[in-house]
Amino acid sequence: MKDPYEVLGVAKTATPEQIRKAYRQLAKKLHPDLNPGDKHAEERFKEVAAANDLLSDPDKRRRFDAGEIDASGAERAPPQGRYYREYAGGAGHPYESAEGYADFAEGNDIFADLLRRSREQSRRAPGADLHYELHVPFLDAVNGVVRTIALPQGGTLDVTIPAGVEDGQTLRLRGKGAPAPGEGPPGDALVRIVVEPHAFFTREGDDIHVELPITIKEAALGGEVRAPTTTGSVMLKIPKRSNTGDTLRLKGKGVKARGGAGDEFVRLKVVMPKEPDAELDAFLAGWTPPSSYDPRREM
Amino acid sequence: MIDERDFLQRAHVDRTTLEVWVREEWICPDCTRPERAYTEMDVARAGLIHDLKHNMGVNDEGLDVILHLIDQMHGLRRALAEALGSLGEPGKGAPGS
Repeated sequence: MKDPYEVLGVAKTATPEQIRKAYRQLAKKLHPDLNPGDKHAEERFKEVAAANDLLSDPDKRRRFDAGEIDASGAERAPPQGRYYREYAGGAGHPYESAEGYADFAEGNDIFADLLRRSREQSRRAPGADLHYELHVPFLDAVNGVVRTIALPQGGTLDVTIPAGVEDGQTLRLRGKGAPAPGEGPPGDALVRIVVEPHAFFTREGDDIHVELPITIKEAALGGEVRAPTTTGSVMLKIPKRSNTGDTLRLKGKGVKARGGAGDEFVRLKVVMPKEPDAELDAFLAGWTPPSSYDPRREM
Repeated sequence: MIDERDFLQRAHVDRTTLEVWVREEWICPDCTRPERAYTEMDVARAGLIHDLKHNMGVNDEGLDVILHLIDQMHGLRRALAEALGSLGEPGKGAPGS
């Protein structure tokens, strides 16, 4: 561990003002952002900053002088964040400047050509991408729709939601992001789709699932009932003696996407009347099921 | 993106100071949203401004000059790096090609 007085180049008797001055002098020379090409600047600057941290605090300095803490106490100097130089070398940021070499880029030689190209490139750097989240009703996600969203910075954005879009999918709208700092194209808008659940439809891949309540008469005798699909209702033939849990397939009534189409699976659910029904009670009371009808036989 | 409250906290500056820095264009937040947004680069730049002002005794006039020169230097460094990079690529502007 280096002696902090040595690092700052001051005497042990230095006044706080002398220490401050010495630190400033070194910081001006060694600050990594004032030496962007010097890989060792950061290390040396940290050493100086740590020494200053120790000696500029009267209490820490007193304890160091008394031998209560060693210079490693200075190692725990407040952690420096990242330096500006780590970001400033990129293109397309608001602080970028080509003024330092603009004249060189005007000549006819090969370097002028290279510099012009570099300047062009940074001038044409695109704007940033902007991220949005769009909640889409279940049926709109299945069938596709055009939605207009109001942008937080003002203005609107038309988003064409393709049929069959999935929850969590991101749509990229070219050129609808932030404007470029120079003359480059704007960035893109990235719209993350959140599909809202539906009251009775669910989706698995390209298939749609729905539970369809039927009466006990429809279950026993069969018949045609109206069944909802994502594009309107269709008539569905219920076979005789249908049960809760029986599933009927409506081919091609699922999500139309990627050239094909999924199916809709209709799961039947037999529902007893909610209101008391004397006639039904009387009928069932007078009905004796055959001995073969024992749904709990295998239990 | 970093919102203004996070930025103030991470850059260790108060709102009044930040207003001055933005007005002087030392810090350029993204103003395309209803609330200003900042980048990691802005945080690092705020750190540099803080070091210059408080650790090196640079006054506001000098700060303006220094930031401008630093940005020019980075522009130059980038142009130089690209020029050197192009020289290394055969057939892409190399002398004699």
